Amino acid sequence: MTGSAATRGAARSHSGDLLVATAAVAAIGAWLWAFLATDSVGVLAGLLAFAAAAFVFGRRAAPRYRRALAARPRMATSLGVLTVCVVAVALHDQPYPLLMLCTVLLFVVACIGLDIQTGHCGLVNFAGAAFFGTGAYTAAILAAHGVPDPAVIFAGGVVAAAAGSLLILPVLRTRGYYAALVTIAFGILFSTFLEVNDSLGGPQGLKLHGIDFFGWRFNRDVNLGWTTASFYVNYVVLSLALAAGAFVFARRIERSWLGLAFDAVRLDEIAAATFGIGVGRAKIIAFTLGNFLCGVAGSVYAMMQGFIAPNNFTFGESLILVSILILGGIGNPLGILPAALIIIVVPQKLQFIQEYRFLLYGVLVVLILLFRPEGLLPRRIRDYFPGSGA
Amino acid sequence: MTAAADTMDGPAREAAAAPLLACAGLTMRFGGLVALDALDLHVAQGEILGLIGPNGSGKTTFFNVLTGLYRASGGRIAFAGRDITGLAPQAVYRAGIARTFQRSRLCLPLTVFDNVMIGNHLRLSHGACFNVFRRGALRRQYDEAVGAARSLAATFNAQLAARLFDAAGTLDMIDRRRVEICRALVNTPRLLLLDEPSAGMTRGETRELMDDILQVRAARPALTIVIIEHEMNVIERMTQRCVVLNYGSKIAEGPFRAVAADRGVQEAYLGQAVA
Amino acid sequence: MDAGVLAQYVFNGVMLGVIYAMVAVGFTLFFGVLDVIQFAHGDVVMAGAFVGLATYVALHVLGVAAPAVVVFAVACAAGLGMALVGAVIARWLILPLRAAPAFNTLLVTLMLGSILRELVRLFYPNGSNPQPFPRLLPSASVNLGHFTLRLDTTILIIAGLVMIVAVNLVVRRTRLGLAIRAVAQDSETARVMGIDFERVVLVTFAIGSALAGFAGVVYGLYYNEVNFDIGLLLGVIGFSAAVVGGLGSIYGAILGGFLFAALQTVGSVALPVSSAYNNVFAFAVVIVLMTWKPTGLIAERASERV
Repeated sequence: MTGSAATRGAARSHSGDLLVATAAVAAIGAWLWAFLATDSVGVLAGLLAFAAAAFVFGRRAAPRYRRALAARPRMATSLGVLTVCVVAVALHDQPYPLLMLCTVLLFVVACIGLDIQTGHCGLVNFAGAAFFGTGAYTAAILAAHGVPDPAVIFAGGVVAAAAGSLLILPVLRTRGYYAALVTIAFGILFSTFLEVNDSLGGPQGLKLHGIDFFGWRFNRDVNLGWTTASFYVNYVVLSLALAAGAFVFARRIERSWLGLAFDAVRLDEIAAATFGIGVGRAKIIAFTLGNFLCGVAGSVYAMMQGFIAPNNFTFGESLILVSILILGGIGNPLGILPAALIIIVVPQKLQFIQEYRFLLYGVLVVLILLFRPEGLLPRRIRDYFPGSGA
Repeated sequence: MTAAADTMDGPAREAAAAPLLACAGLTMRFGGLVALDALDLHVAQGEILGLIGPNGSGKTTFFNVLTGLYRASGGRIAFAGRDITGLAPQAVYRAGIARTFQRSRLCLPLTVFDNVMIGNHLRLSHGACFNVFRRGALRRQYDEAVGAARSLAATFNAQLAARLFDAAGTLDMIDRRRVEICRALVNTPRLLLLDEPSAGMTRGETRELMDDILQVRAARPALTIVIIEHEMNVIERMTQRCVVLNYGSKIAEGPFRAVAADRGVQEAYLGQAVA
Repeated sequence: MDAGVLAQYVFNGVMLGVIYAMVAVGFTLFFGVLDVIQFAHGDVVMAGAFVGLATYVALHVLGVAAPAVVVFAVACAAGLGMALVGAVIARWLILPLRAAPAFNTLLVTLMLGSILRELVRLFYPNGSNPQPFPRLLPSASVNLGHFTLRLDTTILIIAGLVMIVAVNLVVRRTRLGLAIRAVAQDSETARVMGIDFERVVLVTFAIGSALAGFAGVVYGLYYNEVNFDIGLLLGVIGFSAAVVGGLGSIYGAILGGFLFAALQTVGSVALPVSSAYNNVFAFAVVIVLMTWKPTGLIAERASERV
């Protein structure tokens, strides 16, 4: 094949595009900073309008620059991580925006987990908040018993995955609406159980201490040399690492034979089985991985918040997680980031709509499904090794 | 791939006496409905068998039982000297039986390559750790697979090979059928089941597709094919022998001309035309 | 156990069964004509209860006090209101998504349920707290040992059963019902035969949702309290009851409703834990039943078409 020469030629012509793409990422970073930092309703509305305009008008020019970045997945990920780091440093003395950034990143982790289940393997899971909550409660219990925090976080994921294995039999035996019913029942059962069970704190919930990574105390302000930063910077570092890890993980799964098996199972279970694909195996892997990610996100979230209660993990919260998936574009991990940002931050900023947020999300999702079911950033055709000129 | 066909050719000639596929007393009941009624059927190694009969006579049900989608209510299936009754679909595929579906069951949002690779799944490493962490090894497997898919698609049609990375949903009907057959052939099965390949296509397209199938068959003489069809000229052209089903049982068997002349067969079809 | 206490449990269980059956029948009707599950159906029940409650309040303000008139008006308002809601749901949410993946319909109806809950919670006066539902029925009762036969509950059971039977008769005996069953059998053929498919779907959704509205009023009159979140439990149980009885079958749905009521009653008696766990138990039963019989106790008519 003459592919390598052609690729090299293409790479040269892409270097200009790459520069533009990098500038665009930097601009997105600046937007993110302004979006998180502002307290003014007017500024927020302006930023959202600007983003919408950029989204609509930039769409025609975007593919070229997107390809330039997509051809270098490692560089693209590093660029994204670096951008968030810079935003975090720029916000270093504003604890509240930093907390929101962490929350968004942790929800991204959980939603990537759900996306592996729902978007790739077609397993509907309406108990996302329950698995997130399983991680959170696991963290609360283990941390109170003096288990080291890195182990606590990992255990949060493992226990959530184990809780999922309780549901694996019904999930494997049912499909479509029936499987949805099982997860809905589990999601409601979870929060109802926590409400009535006194040994886990009942409706009042449980308190947790901040994360301590072998002496690196997360709840202590950070000395950056020229100034002191809010202790939430620690949590940004951890949640960013988790989100980036989950993102790369999900991307690699998608661009692999395993991702193909997931797609085959989602699109046509019968055909998949006829061609030798282990349908049950694919579902077990997807379900377990997804719940693990939800659990990890939940345990970090719990320690960051310092307090958890059953009403953090209700069925309504599960619907929020699903709303993020739908808004972002089901099956595309990249879409989760803007979607989580909109769904989580906007109601926090606009206190007057905070009360109405479940209603607004409901309306939003219904409108998306009616008029743009593919979401903000639709999933693209699989390219196993982007940038290699297949 | 031709090498594989050659090695199968030798034993195939010897085994001509013992059929590749033999069903005895195969029965499938859905509640009170008997879809297959004690069906005895055999397919010789290397044969192209036509399976015909009026609508609802149990042809597709036979494929579904054979490939493990339905569990037979009674009877046995032997394939290549091995009892495969009641095996899971995955195990049947592993044993060497592949099929196409009447209602195309391609994954339309996926690429042609992805669809073909679904058929090739048994030869691909699908461990989670391999796929996530050993990207170099995955890359080598991928390059190999692309080559194999491209040459397979090229046996049908050069244009199809050029569209390997287009979504299957963007292809027209005949190319979708071709992809479906590629998906069924990629694992080099010993028995290929074609469920009404002409469905939804024009006369001309059907002829073109049949040419393709015969050409593929010529490249792999050991490949045994069972084909369900309503287009009688397709059956006449493609098959050496036909089995006619009605109400789930075999009512006639033999070369197409002999079967078409059979009174019982004519009545079965007429009866349906009147109803 | 004392015979009177036992009779009391059975009596209360039957009441519960009637409510569940009324909800389950809707699920089964919708699934019959369109092969969809309307996950907001439980919240339609809740909305029906609140429409009934609002009607009561309005009549009270207007000075209408005759109990028979009030009960009739409350039931009619709930039934007609929900019939309208059901038709609107079918016309603007379910039918437009027919060509989309089933997942989208599932999500739309789930989100619609969330919207209905939130609308009541936010906009019904003091809606985030449980609302007392008036006692509109004669509260006479007969005591037989430990068994109290309450007149109001008896009336509710009878009224509920009458409505279920009425819906069943409409589906079995009328021209409209014939059209509904034709669409349920094979919507393509029904359309070719000149049946107005869309109209049949709308009417089916109206009938099923009206029944849900009545169920809401029955619920309110029985418990004398309604809350914005009762729809979640009623929806999950109603759907499970329909599934257990075999989706698409009205008799199955009724059977499933009573089965669930029986399980819940037995559970509340037999389990050593406090009644706070009642709902936890109900949801656990749903999960176990789904695992045990994924397509219902009475098998669904069509197997997967290959």
